[in-house]
Amino acid sequence: MRVLVSVVAALALAISSSAQNTSKPPSLAGSWRVPYTPNLADALGQQPPYTAHGAERWRTVDTAKDPTGTCLPPGPSRVLTSPFPFIIVQQENMIALLFEYQTIWRAIYMDGRKHPADIADYPDFMGHSIGRWEGDTLVVDTVAINERTWLDTAGHEHSPKLHLTERFRKVGEDKIEWTATFDDPVFFARPWSITRTFTRFDDSKDQDRILPYTCTENNRDVQHLVPNQPNLNYKYQPENR
Amino acid sequence: MITKLILGGIVSIGLVAAAVPVFGHHSFAAQYDRTKAIALKGTVTKVEWMNPHIYFYVDVKDDSNRVTNWAIEGGAPSMLYRNGWRIDSLKVGDKVTIDGWLAKDGSNLANMRTVTLADGKTVFGASSGGDAR
Repeated sequence: MRVLVSVVAALALAISSSAQNTSKPPSLAGSWRVPYTPNLADALGQQPPYTAHGAERWRTVDTAKDPTGTCLPPGPSRVLTSPFPFIIVQQENMIALLFEYQTIWRAIYMDGRKHPADIADYPDFMGHSIGRWEGDTLVVDTVAINERTWLDTAGHEHSPKLHLTERFRKVGEDKIEWTATFDDPVFFARPWSITRTFTRFDDSKDQDRILPYTCTENNRDVQHLVPNQPNLNYKYQPENR
Repeated sequence: MITKLILGGIVSIGLVAAAVPVFGHHSFAAQYDRTKAIALKGTVTKVEWMNPHIYFYVDVKDDSNRVTNWAIEGGAPSMLYRNGWRIDSLKVGDKVTIDGWLAKDGSNLANMRTVTLADGKTVFGASSGGDAR
């Protein structure tokens, strides 16, 4: 009896996994709005698990030096925590993310290619992304993220070694759950993750269409920025592991 | 000293509760002082409905009738648009009262919390103060 149960279970598993392999991935296509998350520590419920170096950078960060203050691109994850809608264009071999914020884009290669061997020598503010489907979850692997980008408005920074893994999963027709995992041994003692939910954005209505955001159009702020170090009292407490 | 002079004809107000964060494409506190609330009354001279944040300019008269042109910063145009505001919601010549926060660098610049027209209608009603703290 026990053997029979095992055989049936194994068969069921084989059938379901073969069905999964042949089934079409879910469509993430459409326009989406994202919850504004200016401080990732709020989403995490605590400060990220810093290394001593990461903690010192957080303690001394000067928010007047935020790269987006001079209209540099926000980076691949921060753009998905900024309060502007974006479009997902989904094709079999590529998924493109088109952002209102800074009129910028990300290309996620889905054709099985690897990151280029010399990619670390040519970092991009938005990184280099390759993706794959794990069941109904889109898993995106991003490296070569220019270290000048910040992870949020609060001033969490990273090194060139940042390895970003994102998981996009439909949790209803009009919702995508997005989990971003930050793995950067220079800044963080271990990988850590935040999860946000994107909701469908109906840009067919005139008032909700994607609108212009060319940051350099009239960036008067830059001449008024003054040094601002809000975390100088931060005390580093390494995790006991 | 200059600030004091200008503030002569301006109602300065106490601490104002934090505005609903709309979005600063950088830290609010690197540009404005949330402990320095200010109220300005004047006439709109120019509106820049442009990215990353709108700016408009107001002539403010002090007690000795000296006019100073202030720059006022607001939210991103797309955010304002989605909140129902339009490029002509605020026009040159409009008499306005602005509650906001002073720039830290001492210039005649403030970030708006609210902008109220002469008829009491509030326009824009959103600052760029989407700071992390």
